[in-house]
Amino acid sequence: MKVTFNKRDPVYVQVVRHFKEQIATGHFEPGQEIPSRRELATQLKINPNTAQRAYKEMEEAGLIYTEGNSPSKITKNEKVIDNVREELILEAVNNFVSAIRPIHVPIDEVVGLIKEKYHDDEEG
Amino acid sequence: MIEVKDLAKNFGRKKVLKGISFTAEKGEITCLMGINGAGKTTIMNAIMNLTSFKSGEILIDGEKLNKHSYEKITFIPDAITMLPQMTIGEALQFMKDFYTSWNEIRAKELLEFFRLKENEKISSLSKGNTAKVNLLLGLALDVDYLLMDEPFSGIDIFSREQIANVFTSHLVEDRGVIITTHEINDIEHLIDKAVLLDDGMVLREFSTEEVRENEGKSVVDVMREVYQR
Repeated sequence: MKVTFNKRDPVYVQVVRHFKEQIATGHFEPGQEIPSRRELATQLKINPNTAQRAYKEMEEAGLIYTEGNSPSKITKNEKVIDNVREELILEAVNNFVSAIRPIHVPIDEVVGLIKEKYHDDEEG
Repeated sequence: MIEVKDLAKNFGRKKVLKGISFTAEKGEITCLMGINGAGKTTIMNAIMNLTSFKSGEILIDGEKLNKHSYEKITFIPDAITMLPQMTIGEALQFMKDFYTSWNEIRAKELLEFFRLKENEKISSLSKGNTAKVNLLLGLALDVDYLLMDEPFSGIDIFSREQIANVFTSHLVEDRGVIITTHEINDIEHLIDKAVLLDDGMVLREFSTEEVRENEGKSVVDVMREVYQR
């Protein structure tokens, strides 16, 4: 696991975001074991308290779960996973829209460009 | 918790500490930052009871400094204090004989962690490896608080990375760490709290995650604000 952190957002928020991306893209599968907070801190070179905070947030949001003393795992709850996916898609679209809107491009032209680009990248 | 309260000290007529206050929690990494002469090393010496002070007080877990304090804290200076003709193994043996709090198992683990060999002579080590041995000697003690003076200064990037990794590992566990540095880049994401010092005063004390969360600022942003006013 490797994450490039920016310096101005809380590190725990960035860790949670990374997990969401991995869940949405299927890199983390439902029920998959995740590293302990200490292992995560070592892998990502972050403070163990921050790793702990990220896990606490994810536990509360239902993204991960812990049974007894066994390692924490990625949620199997499909609804939660769908929500994460939707959240990330919406966020990406919002970012795109707020970047493109000031340029005053007709929406049809934008959609056309998106279609073209989307398939370009798939082939490439 | 280490509590430094309104600490003042003079060297002759010069006021070197002008009422320093901050706290350092167990299980957290607190970073004292400031240019040379800001008072970082003097504060560490005061916490170790190695230097007297004019006024103020220092509490370790609520107790005033006393002759048992050193059983709870260790100070890792910025240069190794072992004789250069000793081997690493001999330095470890010296520590074992001298300190009841020496943890042999952790010492061996640290040797492996830093990829150091016991038969190597201290005089033959690179700067980076000398710094690692120096750190190892302090980290292997079973104490609750570790004070480290400039553990990253003057060594190569790979040694710095390896040393930074020790902070996230179980080798530091849930101990309290106070570290001084003037180079924040290596450890920006590792520390819990920063204490910005200048000219014997605390200019700002803050939690790094809180400053990112509430103000959207990096540690360096805050340093710029505080030091370049």
